[in-house]
Amino acid sequence: MGNATITDQDSQIRPLSQDKIPRDEFLKMRDENLARWSCGGDVDLDEAAAYHKAMVPEKHHAHVSRHAVATGACLTQPRGGFATLDMHKDLLQKLEVDGLADILPTTTDSYTRNERFGQAADGLTASEAKGRSLLNGFPLVNHGIDRIREIVDQVNRPIIALTGTAMPRMTGEIAYAGGMTGYLGSGIAYTTSYTKEFSIADGIRNYQYLDRLAALYLEKGVELHRRQPSFLTGTNVTPSIGIMVAVLDALLAAEQGVKHYGLELTQVMHPIQDAASIAACKDLVQEYLHRAGHKDVFTPVSSLHWMGAWPANRAQASAMVVYGGFIAKVGGAHNVTTKSTSEALGIPTPEYNAEGLVMSRMGIYLARDFTFEGHPEYQLEKEMIELEVRTILDKVLEMGNGDVAKGATAAFEAGVMDVPWSPNRGCQSLIMPARDDKGYLRILDPGKMPFPKDTLRYHRDQLQQRADNKGITFGPDLAIDSVYELSEEMAKLMPYPLAS
Amino acid sequence: MSEVNKGVLVTGVIGSDTHIVGNRILSRALEQEGFRVVSLGALTPAAEFVEAAIETNADAILVSSLYGQGELDCDGFRDLCTEAGLSDILLYIGGYLVVGDQPWEEVRIRFRDMGFDRAFPPGTRPSDVTNVLEQDIAARRADAKQGA
Repeated sequence: MGNATITDQDSQIRPLSQDKIPRDEFLKMRDENLARWSCGGDVDLDEAAAYHKAMVPEKHHAHVSRHAVATGACLTQPRGGFATLDMHKDLLQKLEVDGLADILPTTTDSYTRNERFGQAADGLTASEAKGRSLLNGFPLVNHGIDRIREIVDQVNRPIIALTGTAMPRMTGEIAYAGGMTGYLGSGIAYTTSYTKEFSIADGIRNYQYLDRLAALYLEKGVELHRRQPSFLTGTNVTPSIGIMVAVLDALLAAEQGVKHYGLELTQVMHPIQDAASIAACKDLVQEYLHRAGHKDVFTPVSSLHWMGAWPANRAQASAMVVYGGFIAKVGGAHNVTTKSTSEALGIPTPEYNAEGLVMSRMGIYLARDFTFEGHPEYQLEKEMIELEVRTILDKVLEMGNGDVAKGATAAFEAGVMDVPWSPNRGCQSLIMPARDDKGYLRILDPGKMPFPKDTLRYHRDQLQQRADNKGITFGPDLAIDSVYELSEEMAKLMPYPLAS
Repeated sequence: MSEVNKGVLVTGVIGSDTHIVGNRILSRALEQEGFRVVSLGALTPAAEFVEAAIETNADAILVSSLYGQGELDCDGFRDLCTEAGLSDILLYIGGYLVVGDQPWEEVRIRFRDMGFDRAFPPGTRPSDVTNVLEQDIAARRADAKQGA
């Protein structure tokens, strides 16, 4: 059952590189993969492709995303998953009918994420017996293709699998064969953010498999939505770092033949910086894809509600939910991943989850066609992000002699690429972000990342102002203060009464 | 960093939980307060906490759990310590310890019954921990002396 065995076999056959996995070799890899768990044998790619083709276009994530980009719309998508079929069906029903979700989620449980399907089976049995979810998500491999299709047939929107994992091979096969049309995850982003011992090279290999699978569906006439999670650790991830990882993961996917690849950025909760970040991401991903000869990859950008600590107070949290919808739309994102007022309290009920969707939708509506383009601060932010991303990515590509997979692994090892607050041992995690006095996220300490001197000086000057104004020593305390800030009680954020 | 060693602490996030940020902030704050901190990081099995505590002759183990499955992960934790000969070690736990919305007092008592000397609710800041920790360790050391 251990994933290590699979990757070990791979590394004997195939040294790490960005190269497309040859068809015959991939088919052999699939056989080995699917033999690991009983329902793997149920996957029949031609039959699955036919099932996808028979679905109405409105249930295809790829179709809905392309429509959103063409019309300038911002889709809403929550997270969510419960253990049993009935509970999960009920959840998706509420998210669609009450929440008006444009894209429906299926979050998997932690056992499934770690490919512990035996434990997931026990958790599912116990949940069915007790009538409440003992798993923190939907164990999609244990439910299998037929039951997933029962859900797909019941809803009227596309379903995306959300399985925060560095091991997507089995869940990807079952989710796509079951009729889910989107899958979130990527080799660099998830490995550096969700694992401790897993190597970035093995994470890349595992997602090369999934991307190659999506390309195989495309060969059969089915365009699937693949998506990359550059929210990373979700803790004050500055725009340029998220975008660097997004570009690298996109290049890796494109090499496997993926033509539809979404990119996710976490909101920093500053509308100008978020708008600059989304715009820069759109441009930079296409710039690097074109440079590598990939001229026909569709790359919509998703904006994610604040991924750091939330306030426990529901009224305060509701403002962040609405604002998150507004920020996504104003920034030009074509999808927003929503949270709810329960965020600080735990997994939301279907009702609170649906409420968060409608709050976000109202935020999107109120944003109308407003834009920050032309605003001097927007221009400055976008230029700084672009300069930082190009400076570091060019170095990463150079380190791999043009091979993205080799460049990325070498860069993380050397600290040229880094992720703040990463739990992964292969990631130095020396880079330290903090929020400045105007609310922008800045780089307090670049670690070993070769940021341009000019932008680094600007970041530090801005943070020095915060240190002076707030009476905090310039240093790690600024970063820590920024981790807590948005979750603080109202009384601490703004004095009351103001006139006192 | 203080010159006085106020105690040796083992910290980490238990089970399949990757939420490292708060734990890292806490570990850093404890070091600044003069404790020696052995930081095990995210995704740490219960047995690893105990092994580290034995190796370093630790005064306390501070467990973080942020994903709701702490109750399952910490089941039998005190027994593991006792079996390893650490019957007097101080055990703290903090975070989002259970699934769903349950009254904190009930959660606290449940974890006390599981052998945790103190349980800290969501929103706890490092200073809330350092103050009581120093007292608890001093009390344990005094007890040990009396016993000996």
